[in-house]
Amino acid sequence: MSRRAFQSALARLVTDPDYRAEVRARGNDALAGRFSPRERRRLLGAAADRGMDVTRTLHKAFRLGKLLTQLPLTCRLLGTERLAPEVERFWRRRPPISFYFLEEAVAFCDYLLGRDLSALGVEHLEEVVRYERASKALKRARAEGRRPEPERVEFACDPAALLSALHRGEVPGEIPALSCTLEARLTEGGEVEWDVAVVEGVPVPKAVTAVGG
Amino acid sequence: MNRERPVPKLGVGVAFQPALRPFIESRGDLFDYLEVVPDILWNDRGRGETPRYVDDPDGVAFLRQVRRERAVIPHSIGLSIGSAHRFDRRHVEQIAAWREWLDFPWHSDHLAFHLAEHGVDEMNVGVTLPLPRDRETLAALAPRVAAVQSRLPIPFLLENNVYFFDFRDAEYDDAGFLNALCERTGCYLLLDLHNVYVNSRNHGMDPFRLLDAIDCERVLELHVAGGMEHEGFYLDAHSGPMPQPVWDLLDYALPRCPNLGGVTFEILGSWFSGMGNEKLAAELSGMRELWHRHQPAPERLAA
Repeated sequence: MSRRAFQSALARLVTDPDYRAEVRARGNDALAGRFSPRERRRLLGAAADRGMDVTRTLHKAFRLGKLLTQLPLTCRLLGTERLAPEVERFWRRRPPISFYFLEEAVAFCDYLLGRDLSALGVEHLEEVVRYERASKALKRARAEGRRPEPERVEFACDPAALLSALHRGEVPGEIPALSCTLEARLTEGGEVEWDVAVVEGVPVPKAVTAVGG
Repeated sequence: MNRERPVPKLGVGVAFQPALRPFIESRGDLFDYLEVVPDILWNDRGRGETPRYVDDPDGVAFLRQVRRERAVIPHSIGLSIGSAHRFDRRHVEQIAAWREWLDFPWHSDHLAFHLAEHGVDEMNVGVTLPLPRDRETLAALAPRVAAVQSRLPIPFLLENNVYFFDFRDAEYDDAGFLNALCERTGCYLLLDLHNVYVNSRNHGMDPFRLLDAIDCERVLELHVAGGMEHEGFYLDAHSGPMPQPVWDLLDYALPRCPNLGGVTFEILGSWFSGMGNEKLAAELSGMRELWHRHQPAPERLAA
């Protein structure tokens, strides 16, 4: 039992800066667990060690890398200043569970969609988050051996103009209003294919338009 | 059991990353085997799920194609053999299932843990955390190594880890711990020379003394890589060509490891574009030159 508690505490020192700060501030009193005296010395030593900063940096880089690679448009639209606090909040709510990038990406999208996104003051954010979430959810389903149903995302602006600007690495400027729905499905080869399904309330025949992503 | 079985002399290998796939497909003349982290080519759906593992069909097809011409060696990151709260026998079964079609002569994982209890669930730290160098750790590892070796009757190698903080009251130094690990558990070593260099840089040790002290007969594979500085530490970032001290360590280690099966170059896919094909080719050519200077000619392990 002692080794289990020791490893749990060590993992928390890496992943939870509040816990580490508490251990550093309160010492033994902060170590609630059945630790041997040697384990207590080791945990206190690790908490105070500068090498723990580096270990946390590597942990964060691995975790953040999942989001940057899987959700480039969302991250670009948020920008570094807004992304950093959102990621911090997300991490406080959700300890790292999975090794896999898609699961983390979908979870971050769900976290964002659970927030009042209008408070962030970023135009089109919800549409972009839903767009990238749909794509990742389809790929995650395939990775899990499932055949997913198509995903639909509603837009209140021209998705081609919005998404192409983000794909070019630009923060989108004025995007023309357009009420439409995009539908994503997975091809046999595992790629995500987007079509325009509805424009201004009128269904569009399949395979008229493909939107990248 | 495994101790008497030598591994083939494969030569120089490269560690697979998706970004390296064009290089691997076009420059097969530069390496003798492919190493792969199998965990990136399957999806682990988690404990209790059925099926637990779902192979990536594209990845499997690619490895089958590579395997027709050369050995493919799995170097897993998923076992977390040092985790105190559970031993993942299902992961071992998955490696065994892959051996059915990849027919590899050895396999490896990390001397570390990344999974830990977290309330009623489990946390995946995402980086390999060090294990205390003491007899308690060895006692915990011994039955697990035995279980792996019982299921897969080929050499099982554990890789020496990097650590940026050290534990107080260690009962062994690095070399002593690795030697005791092999003696106690019967496993072999994947000696990562870049990790040796990283630890020596960060903790003020002489890496050549470690190589002198280690039981090199247990070393069946070497890893080499490049890293970078970060806030006063040197990181095992796998971010480019080997620094000269790692070349020197490779030159020193190659003639001292009589049972060596191969030496593998590692680079992360995200850093590969900065390195490019030519520099990777130069690394592999340099490694081959050293291999031929110190080791017998490689055996081709085609299917």
